[in-house]
Amino acid sequence: MFEIFRNMTASRRQTLVQVLTYMLFCAAILIFPLFLDNDFLLNRYARYLVLGMVTMALSLSWGYAGILNLGQALSFGLGSYAMAMALKLRTVPVHTGAGGLPDFMVWNNVEKLPWFWEPFYSLGLAILAGIFVPVILAVVLGWFMFRGRITGVFVAIITLANLVVVNLLIIDQQRFTGGFNGITDLAQLEFFGFEFDAYSKSTYYLVAISLSLCLFGALALTKSKAGLILQAIRDHEERVRFFGYDVAVYQIMAMSVSAAIAGIAGMLYTVVMEFASPTFLSVPLSLSIVVWCAVGGRQSLLGATIGAIVVAGMQGALSESEAFLDTWMLIMGAIFVLVVLFLPNGLAGLIDMLARKAFGRGRHRKSDGPASDIIPTETAKSP
Amino acid sequence: MSEHLRIENLSVEFDGFKAVDNLNLSVDKGELRCLIGPNGAGKTTTLDLICGKTRSSKGSIQYRGREIANEPEYLIARAGIGRKFQVPSVFRQLTVRENLEVAYCRHVGVFANVVRSGHSPESDGLEKLADFVGLSGYLDEPAEHLSHGQTQWLEIALLLAQDSELILLDEPTAGMTHQETRKTAEICNRLKGKHTIIVVEHDMGFVREIGEVISVMHQGTVLAEGTVEEISRDERVKEVYLGSVGIDDA
Repeated sequence: MFEIFRNMTASRRQTLVQVLTYMLFCAAILIFPLFLDNDFLLNRYARYLVLGMVTMALSLSWGYAGILNLGQALSFGLGSYAMAMALKLRTVPVHTGAGGLPDFMVWNNVEKLPWFWEPFYSLGLAILAGIFVPVILAVVLGWFMFRGRITGVFVAIITLANLVVVNLLIIDQQRFTGGFNGITDLAQLEFFGFEFDAYSKSTYYLVAISLSLCLFGALALTKSKAGLILQAIRDHEERVRFFGYDVAVYQIMAMSVSAAIAGIAGMLYTVVMEFASPTFLSVPLSLSIVVWCAVGGRQSLLGATIGAIVVAGMQGALSESEAFLDTWMLIMGAIFVLVVLFLPNGLAGLIDMLARKAFGRGRHRKSDGPASDIIPTETAKSP
Repeated sequence: MSEHLRIENLSVEFDGFKAVDNLNLSVDKGELRCLIGPNGAGKTTTLDLICGKTRSSKGSIQYRGREIANEPEYLIARAGIGRKFQVPSVFRQLTVRENLEVAYCRHVGVFANVVRSGHSPESDGLEKLADFVGLSGYLDEPAEHLSHGQTQWLEIALLLAQDSELILLDEPTAGMTHQETRKTAEICNRLKGKHTIIVVEHDMGFVREIGEVISVMHQGTVLAEGTVEEISRDERVKEVYLGSVGIDDA
């Protein structure tokens, strides 16, 4: 077994180690509930996993394709509203008008369910909407940006502005969206006979399994030729065009896959939180996602996921403890500054570096090609 | 031999400055054409116009009878035109192997590439290519760790992996040792015939080694065209470019 491992090329060895690490992480989050019999805490950890998922989606577009999407929360929020609308229509009406109209519509004197709410009677359609509405928005926005060869900081500004517009629109259209209050008092998600109570193991497993599937799906994408081309685009966009690749199409693909994963994460967030609110597609959340991604390591899907879980977890713990009640924001800020200064590739970069030091091998090791006898290398001396 | 590339009355203007002015150039299939000329003569701009990096103001560029002027770069590249830039431009964060995989671009569609592995079955051929340019010991090394000369070689390997019919080389020997220049000339001579090549070069020794037909550019247009001997006898060429000393001493 070890012999096989040694005979592989460095890149294949690296892929194998990567897949094993990802499997280890997925196994860890899946067996976690066996050691924790506290539904309140499980709910909280499920929440962190969802945040990890949306951050992983950002790592796909930012870390791999170089698209800094500051409006990542837009896809997330739209997914969350899609799920909330479906669950709202399934509540046992308490304060309803004719035909089970959602309560906030009754308070806002809406008399008939608006047309765009109708499809949400079907859970299947709602889930499709939670994925494809963000995707379609990403494709349209990506089309205009990348066809026009907009790059770098301008992409960040446009996506951020786009997020603000949708956010204001949702707050403004209180009659149809619940405005500032969002959509509350939801039914529990139910499908295939399973009931997903937010404070139960079932919801935690739903989140953990979804995260694992998306993580491996995204990993497969980065290992494909398209993933390689995305990284080439990040490095030197111009050069890729002269090899005959339509750069814009690849960028749109990266952005829409990222949007789809963020949309799924958003739907799960509604299930876990039991409401949807405009804060789910707010600027602060969107910027937090970017920070988590940077801390975890934007060029590693797993790094970004863990970055979000760890930092969001710390935020939660610090903000609730008596001692740090006033200072937790400062502490978080200091951590971000330190990471940005000393760990440009985040926690994943740190682990990569430590592993290389410990084993004397890693991605920067020169392969044992026929020329390695002739070409002096610094690793040739090491055992 | 049939005509491979035909440029007619091509002009481009940058804020009133005519970088290329009514250029006419015709290159046959399998030919190796050298473009020489003083700085600012419009050699690099001509290559930029052919590969679509710069948009022309007027004129036509026909590649195998198809008009390609002002088409997007990726379509021109797909038509079969590859380019090596003056400043070596490789993907610095990717390994040498990954660089070659990207350059090996038989399939360019996004959906095909999502299901295709990043390690193609052709990677054996790519390893031979790396061996050929002396980079086989660096296959899993990020390109940013390579020296300037090695980066030049990597870019030449990228061009070979891309395997375009028409290859545009912009100063391929810049920063190379004498020996490496010889090797580059050897590669050019080997590609000649199967590929059509246009080389912009200052190194006259190199030009003499590879050049059949040389086009001398001056102020955005072709001043003279011919073999090394014909060019070195041309009075106008001596005047604008080579000076009184003549081509042999340049």
